[in-house]
Amino acid sequence: MVTIDLGKTSVREGNEKIRQCGKNGEDVEVINPDARHHIGVGLVHPITVKVKGSAGYFCAGLSDAARFEVESNVGWGVGDNMYSGSVVVGGNASAIPGVAIRGAEIVIRGNMGSRAGQVMKAGTLCCEGNANFMAGYMMYGGRIIIIGDSGVKVGEDMSAGEIFVAGKVENLGSDAELTDIDSAEIDDVMEFLERYKIPFKGSFQKVVNAGKKLRYATSEQQMRSIPFFSFSGASDYWNPKIQEDLYVKSQIGRYRIRGYGGARPLPHFSDIAFRKDLSLAGGDADVVSKVKMRTEIGGINGAQPLKLSMPVMIAPMSYGALSASTKRAIGLASTLSDIAENTGEGGMSDAQRGAAKQLIFQMLGGRLGWNIHDMNRADGLEIYISQGAKPGLGGQLMAKKVTPELAKIRGIPAGIDLRSPSRHPDILGADDLVIKIEELREATGYRLPVSIKLGAGRVRDDIKIAVKDGFDFVELDGMQGSTGAGSAEVIDYVGIPTLPAIIEALNALEEIGRRDDIQVVLMGGIRDGVDAVKALCLGADAIALGTSTIIAGGCIACMQCHVGQCVTGIATQDPEHEKRYEPEVEAQNIHRFLESVRWQIATIANELGYDDVTQFSRDDLVALTPEAAAMTGLPYEPQYGDADLDIKVRVAV
Amino acid sequence: MSAVYDINRILIPDVPPDYEDHTADVNYVPAPCQVACPIGTDAPSYIGYIWEGKFEEAFEAITATNPFSSICGRVCDAPCEPACRRTDSDGPLQIRNLKRFVMDKLGSTYEPTPVKAIQSKTVAIVGSGPAGLTAAHELCDAGFEVHVYEMTDRLGGMMIWGIPAFRLPPGIIEEDIDRLLKRFPDLHIHLNTGLGKEISLDELKAKHDAVLLTIGSWWGKPMGIPGEEGNENVIDGVSFLRHVNAGERPTLPETVVVVGGGDVAMDACRAALRLPGCKNVKVIYRRGPDEIPARKIELGGAIEEGVEFIYFTQQVAVEEKNGKLSLKCAKTTLGEKGEDERLQPKIEEGSEHDIECGMVIAAVGQKGVCDDLAKHNLMNVDRVQTEWDTMRTKDAKVFAAGDGAFGGSTIVMAMHHGQRAAYYVKSFLNDIENPIPYRTPFRTRRVPVAQDIKWEKFSPHHPEFFGVGDDPVSFPEIEATYDWDTARNEAARCYRCDAETGSPDYSVAHREDIFSMARTNPADHMKLKSMLQKRLRTRTNPFPESRAPSLDDIVFLPANLSRLVIDPYREACKVTMNFAKKLELQHPFLVTGFDNEAQEIFEAMSQGCVISKTPYLGCKNPGKETSWLQLSSSLSEQTKNTAGYVYHLDKGEEPVALTPATDNQLVGLAVSTTSNLEKAITCSLENKHDILVLDGTGNLGDNWSELTTTPDFSILRDTIRILRKMKKEEMFELVYFGGVRSGTDAAKLIGLGANVVVMGVCVGLSMGGEINNENIVFSSNYSDTDRVQGLVNIVKANLGEASMMARCTGKTNLYNVEPEDLSAITEDTSKATGIPLPGKCA
Repeated sequence: MVTIDLGKTSVREGNEKIRQCGKNGEDVEVINPDARHHIGVGLVHPITVKVKGSAGYFCAGLSDAARFEVESNVGWGVGDNMYSGSVVVGGNASAIPGVAIRGAEIVIRGNMGSRAGQVMKAGTLCCEGNANFMAGYMMYGGRIIIIGDSGVKVGEDMSAGEIFVAGKVENLGSDAELTDIDSAEIDDVMEFLERYKIPFKGSFQKVVNAGKKLRYATSEQQMRSIPFFSFSGASDYWNPKIQEDLYVKSQIGRYRIRGYGGARPLPHFSDIAFRKDLSLAGGDADVVSKVKMRTEIGGINGAQPLKLSMPVMIAPMSYGALSASTKRAIGLASTLSDIAENTGEGGMSDAQRGAAKQLIFQMLGGRLGWNIHDMNRADGLEIYISQGAKPGLGGQLMAKKVTPELAKIRGIPAGIDLRSPSRHPDILGADDLVIKIEELREATGYRLPVSIKLGAGRVRDDIKIAVKDGFDFVELDGMQGSTGAGSAEVIDYVGIPTLPAIIEALNALEEIGRRDDIQVVLMGGIRDGVDAVKALCLGADAIALGTSTIIAGGCIACMQCHVGQCVTGIATQDPEHEKRYEPEVEAQNIHRFLESVRWQIATIANELGYDDVTQFSRDDLVALTPEAAAMTGLPYEPQYGDADLDIKVRVAV
Repeated sequence: MSAVYDINRILIPDVPPDYEDHTADVNYVPAPCQVACPIGTDAPSYIGYIWEGKFEEAFEAITATNPFSSICGRVCDAPCEPACRRTDSDGPLQIRNLKRFVMDKLGSTYEPTPVKAIQSKTVAIVGSGPAGLTAAHELCDAGFEVHVYEMTDRLGGMMIWGIPAFRLPPGIIEEDIDRLLKRFPDLHIHLNTGLGKEISLDELKAKHDAVLLTIGSWWGKPMGIPGEEGNENVIDGVSFLRHVNAGERPTLPETVVVVGGGDVAMDACRAALRLPGCKNVKVIYRRGPDEIPARKIELGGAIEEGVEFIYFTQQVAVEEKNGKLSLKCAKTTLGEKGEDERLQPKIEEGSEHDIECGMVIAAVGQKGVCDDLAKHNLMNVDRVQTEWDTMRTKDAKVFAAGDGAFGGSTIVMAMHHGQRAAYYVKSFLNDIENPIPYRTPFRTRRVPVAQDIKWEKFSPHHPEFFGVGDDPVSFPEIEATYDWDTARNEAARCYRCDAETGSPDYSVAHREDIFSMARTNPADHMKLKSMLQKRLRTRTNPFPESRAPSLDDIVFLPANLSRLVIDPYREACKVTMNFAKKLELQHPFLVTGFDNEAQEIFEAMSQGCVISKTPYLGCKNPGKETSWLQLSSSLSEQTKNTAGYVYHLDKGEEPVALTPATDNQLVGLAVSTTSNLEKAITCSLENKHDILVLDGTGNLGDNWSELTTTPDFSILRDTIRILRKMKKEEMFELVYFGGVRSGTDAAKLIGLGANVVVMGVCVGLSMGGEINNENIVFSSNYSDTDRVQGLVNIVKANLGEASMMARCTGKTNLYNVEPEDLSAITEDTSKATGIPLPGKCA
């Protein structure tokens, strides 16, 4: 037994020692814990850790296999995301005990706070006392045993799993119902209670999902996207798109769901131009070797940065929205072009990890696929707050795509219309976020950059919070960003465009003198090297490409991602469709696209007289429309636009 | 990289004048199939037309550039198919079969409109193969008189002499040729007139203003091996096919060996197999199955019919052993790439072996021969010496095209030659000295994308294959044509690479640029440079000055980090309201506009309002069960026992004080212009009216007034400003009417200050109405139940949308959406609403 005195060592050192003991197979006793946060996080060995006193937030969080015994009380999120192993808390637990557990056993001898077992996937959470409101909120599986009373709204929006309540069920949450219990289940519960020496004689009520909200009642009529050339501009107010929307909505009584990006024009990079005449640019074939493009992202606070061969990375896109083959192709291409790939929501597969040399691992509110082992093999950790396509809402993955394999990696029931939570269970404000970031860093030894994915909305406020919370970089996503499925209206009308987003972010950082304390990676409708350079000129540290890489890899932009039977095998989980996709071939296509982007960036830099991509400047740009000028503050100089815009040019080369 | 994605796809070269070409259309990029087609056939359009059942339109699209459409429907090499983007997925569209489907339907009955010669100059064309007759088609179409000189007794060249009837029945060739001759009465045909025999080049030059030589590659090349020459059991492939196509059905020996792997070899081996006496046909080819140039479908057909393929085998000598014919062969391996970019076969030493047979058909290439031309020094060995860039020979007046000029190729390529040559001949005849280089024009007919929900699922459908049939020697046709269902399903599969996508950021043009970038070798500097120049182009401002302020140009600001604290774990959003403390509303919607509709429409509306708990704002009483806000321009009409009474002020009319007829009756004015707005507000405040209806259309009460004007929501802005100035906000409820199309629009208007919104056209359309000339006409396809359900559903859907927008902004009560939750994306909308733009000035 090794004793660690948190009165004398910091939590960070303490946790390193605990992990070392884990490797050595030695049990640990933590004295003077004094309700410090993150005790034991990231431990992945089956040792016993005795906490002599009270623990703060996330005790035993992001761990696997260890046995924790906490003498007194615990703060928020005890056993957060714990895989296997156990935590026994002698006193009371604060809110969200057992949040997102994936197999662990957690016993609270006293009472437990609200939202116990939120988004848990498997394992058992047991409370000898009473539970506060919304126990089992949005749980996807596993078991909660409450010996006392359940509190209100028990089982609110649970998708699966069981809640056994011995005391009073005050009232049931939305889409929860009481059901019969068979004796085998009772035996199983009693076995658990016995194992943890919880004396109980009496009966249980069982709360389960009522199955009313797991699938949309009526399915939307599938239509191939009808292009609306004149949707915006001077078009009729009651244009064909509106008529089609009304027709479909009047059939299904529900908002429409669509994949892909917006269906309406917005002020964008095409509305700004370079001040310098670049009509002869491109004379130097070998320009790539003459411009310094290597860019490091994420190292400003001491973590190991992502090392990018150019200021470009792959935007987060999930295995789920995309097929495994597509994720593989993108990963391979990111390696070939030496940039970073991102898992998006829903976990990291071995194939993804194997394909991508540098991989950012994204954490969403549903904690789908999130776990310590994949964190440890990631090259960056990212907290998703929102995305440009549908900020303020959770992700949607239609049942067609929730295959058994996918459900397994995400830890959820197969075949549900998965609506991911829009918020994190443990991030209710800026202060919680600081603690969450700290937990991720503690669990991975401060080795990895921690970034935030932010859909553009109130960027001016959000970015200030992000920098104060200590993120290493932000992936800022304008409303032109695409998605696998979302409400069509949200895609088109929520959020601000990418162009003003970067301006607000940088202005806000300048305002508080913190520009150098966070890096900004811009995304959302960036399509090529030309867009990329404009973003860099406006002040982004790097950019991310999503949809354009998918198109390079064979997507035909039919905007039917949500249907789940993608004709090219990209946005599908149907094996018959997925086999149409050849990852090795498409990886080469995506790679060539990225190399073309690289050449474009280098050529424009060279033409502007720069030998380093950090030299791009706002002064290189002018605005061509009043809106672009107003949003960016660039001078309004429409004469820099191309004259005969609707006639294709024929430039002699 | 495929030629489809070459530099010409990035910076499209100019098309010659007078050719219809749509590549300048920003919403159109020629599809890969169209680019791969040497004559630029608008395949996506005819495929789209087939799905729609518009066969005549499909026929027009097919035949516009192709005088041999019926022939191509059966035997075209179809370079479009390997180019089809669906090839990479589950197999290409069966474009050729779809063409055949249309031609089988209309090809023989179509009566073309005659086009007469209007030019004084005439052109001679020597040879009537696909190159010659296509050139004739083009030149006649341009108004020239054309004379075709053909040495045989039939028109069609290799199409008629080279392709056996089981692939191309004779009637099909006639179909195309008849159409051509009917269309051009000034196209003169001279059969049995060989160059150098019945007529000379000098005579042609004297008679005509230009001469085009499309003499073909009529003669087979020898194998060049010992024992071949003079052996009566060795015949070249084209000669063999010529005999067969002339109607001969010779009895063959039991075993026949065909040498070669091209299309002539395929036709020869399959023809031989059908002839009497022949039991085995073996094809030897000196490379492997991956290299064999024959089209896959012909190769597959031959294999299926029982032809044996022997790869990596090269002929060495023809020998007679014991009175039997034997082809001595050697095994090969593939070595380096040769000048033609193909892997060169090398003979393995000591691998010689004999293949016994009764006959050898050598299909190893063809050549053109013409003594008259040789005499004029116009030949280069076995071809007419021709400049590709001008299609000219050494003689200024003489042009050449087709296999006879450039070596053996396909029908469709020969047709391209014909078009190309016709262009240069026309330029010559019109005295244009340096015509801009020819390129194939690309047209689109802008056909809508097929709305077939199974388009992603259907696999390619191959028509039934009959093989040699019951009576092989009669050469029955080898495969069936599609029936209508199959054709339609096949047509539904088309990606429609030509069509606009529906995404402004990834429009068809953007998508194709990205495709091209993904298919650019990093060492291909010229392509990289062209693409950069193209991508540097800016765009037309999508928000021109003429654009009116629009709800489309307002967006919601989502809750992110700054709004996390607002009710973090409740997804629900309150949508009910107590309207002026007199009427419980389940949602912020009223319905209007049905006063003048037919009784059954009005009743369906009324019933839908009852079910969806939606009040009706209108002059006509919707019945007892429906909550009615009576709209009226006469105080004397005020009805008791209604939910409300709204007095509609005429333009310029002085506001009037209203009194509720009962305690619970809501009263209020409706204002249609800003001119009497301030007075109306003052009056409403003084008289404690419950509501004020703001009419953004100016014509509330008229039939579907939302269709006649663009909604003006500055009336809402001004009302809020006036009330704010008076410090009298929230003294009565603001009801806004005009242009509400969705829950999103409603939430925006609530954010701008409205409490309740009125839906008119939006509901009309949901009940089966269709917009027709600023009015709504109700479709007879809808039952009363459908109409009721349509209203109920749109209220439900719009409510869902509105509350979703509120939740996105972090609100748990729809009515708490504020101006601060909105952002404008155009300056005009910003001015009309007072909502700022994001970015610099936010």
